[in-house]
Amino acid sequence: MDLESREVVENRASQTQKHEVQFTGDTRSYFSIWIVNILFTIATLGIYSAWATVRNKQYFFGHTLINGHRFDYLATPLQILKGRLLAIACFALYVVSSTYFSVIALLLIVVWCIALPWIINQGLRFNLRMTRYRNVQFSFKGRYKDAFVNFVLLPVLSIFTLYLLLPWVLKRIDSYIHNNIHYGDKKLNTQLSTREYYSIAFACFCMSIGIGIVVAILAMVTGASFSESPQIITGIVLLMQLSLVMIVTSAYQAMVRNHVYNNSHIEGVAEFESGLEPVDYVILNVTNVLAIVFTLGLAFPWAKVRKAKMLAAATVVHLHPEAEQVVNVQQANQSSFAEEAANVFDVDISLT
Amino acid sequence: MQEITGKLYSAGCNVSADYTLHCSNGQMTLINDDGTKLLAPLTDIQLGVAISGQAQDITLPDGSRFLPDDVNFRLKSDFDSGFIERCEKHKALVLSSIVLCPLLIYLLFFVVVPNVAASAVTLLPDGVAKTTGEQSMLLIEKVALEPTELDIAQQTEINILWQNSLAQLRLSNEKYRLGFYRSDFFGANAFALPHGQIVVTDALVTKLAQHPEALRAVLLHEIGHVEHQHSMRIAAQSVASTVALAVIFGDLQGIAELTLGVGSAIMQQQFSQDMERQADDYALHNLETYGYKAADFATALKLISHERQSEQNDWSKYLSTHPQVETRIQRAMNYQNSK
Repeated sequence: MDLESREVVENRASQTQKHEVQFTGDTRSYFSIWIVNILFTIATLGIYSAWATVRNKQYFFGHTLINGHRFDYLATPLQILKGRLLAIACFALYVVSSTYFSVIALLLIVVWCIALPWIINQGLRFNLRMTRYRNVQFSFKGRYKDAFVNFVLLPVLSIFTLYLLLPWVLKRIDSYIHNNIHYGDKKLNTQLSTREYYSIAFACFCMSIGIGIVVAILAMVTGASFSESPQIITGIVLLMQLSLVMIVTSAYQAMVRNHVYNNSHIEGVAEFESGLEPVDYVILNVTNVLAIVFTLGLAFPWAKVRKAKMLAAATVVHLHPEAEQVVNVQQANQSSFAEEAANVFDVDISLT
Repeated sequence: MQEITGKLYSAGCNVSADYTLHCSNGQMTLINDDGTKLLAPLTDIQLGVAISGQAQDITLPDGSRFLPDDVNFRLKSDFDSGFIERCEKHKALVLSSIVLCPLLIYLLFFVVVPNVAASAVTLLPDGVAKTTGEQSMLLIEKVALEPTELDIAQQTEINILWQNSLAQLRLSNEKYRLGFYRSDFFGANAFALPHGQIVVTDALVTKLAQHPEALRAVLLHEIGHVEHQHSMRIAAQSVASTVALAVIFGDLQGIAELTLGVGSAIMQQQFSQDMERQADDYALHNLETYGYKAADFATALKLISHERQSEQNDWSKYLSTHPQVETRIQRAMNYQNSK
């Protein structure tokens, strides 16, 4: 690299502005939104849930700021309601047929596998299109074929490799999702490393083993008194499994989030940085669940706001001056059916 | 009206500039520092969602958008922005919701859903019960049942008892069919499918071999389940509550489902205990009506539950799925006494 071009690079680097992501929501105001959402949703037999969704999302979007500009959630309650009714109809059909006619349910699983990639794509498309920062919307341009390979074919194949391929498959899924995100007319570029996914997976594996050994030692020390009642032991084993899953998935999510953010940029617009400490994130999730369980759910808003604050505080965005020139390309509104179908059938495809 | 400062985002792009908003006579005016003026009639603008801690934004007819700096800014209140936000700010409503929500959930899932399910089942055509029963039978047969090892004489003996009972109850022996199977999975047990198929395991027959009158009582109990459409009601109830859960809590994420999952399991249990009692009553009533003894059913319960209890330690009695077996035996004895 010659002297002149290095100067240009440095010059550019100094022009980017570093902004920490801010979250301005608080437990008190979110609690009242949350409880009123539940009350109205039950009282209207679920119809209000569409309004609840919009208020929920707008609360978190609108309280998330980069450089003093907030995000917006653009879907209207009626859009959500329409999609939800369709999804519920499909879901009811599925439940009825699988309860009364067990054989048809098997057939529906095949249909579900074929529809799944489309539903995932539509869900991402809808959610991103309904996300706006300043006056520009996001969008998603993934194709059915790629989604089918990444979400159906490869995960099934990885079972036959005793899950040895799984970290690579997870990398491909994250890569597929992020590399198809657009902000206005600009594309998000995410370069993920397979090696990093394997070391994260290895770390998680070691963590599980480590926790397993600690639990086994504890069990040996204190176990004698329980040995006569198998129910207590079953209960404890179940509890251990749940907490192990929670701890390991939290650590995994934190490490993957850091890797994805630190290797993503929108050409000429923004670079991202995430410094989420896996240990902090694990502690946050564990204490959140404990708080929710011991308050019979009432701590949910507190837990959610707390999580949003931690995620925002761990994120930095470097904005280029050219960011002002991004142009919106969204026009027509599509239905939210696929997103709803994904919600109801509980297919989690969260981006964080 | 006072001046409101804020940012104006240009239509369809990322550029923003500081503007000041004035409203008067149904007209809004936006003025820039350098004197640029934008005018729009209030009837043509679109208002954003009003939510705690966020300014309500104003979208102009050309697609540009004004976002006030003051997070408490509200231009005016329509249904979405006004009524809902007022509810969310209403302290008494928020506090009483903490009590009202669980109460409403209880009413919905323990009162409304079971009743709707029960009345919906009576509307289902017979064909549904037939198909459901046949398909379930197909699966159960594959998974948990093996051909019977009872000798022909024993089978014939029970079949005669069965045909007599059907004749007495004036029930069709085309609908009601009895089948013997060997099953390690079910142990000493009998169950009924909605289309009238009744399954008795070899272990049960062996256990009640010396008490044919007790076996008759068990068969009547199973017929009671079919006559009251119990399997169909359980199915309808689980469909109704699953769909209701999905509709209401599709959006409230995780926790609600967790709490309600436990609730619906208890509810199902309660529902099936009521059903057992109903089937018991059917058996007891018909035993007495056709000149047998209600105590026969008590005998059957005693014989079946005897071994089960001796297998279990004290602790698990509390978790047993049939903790009320003593009560059921008592009811059978008293039923006889009261007649």
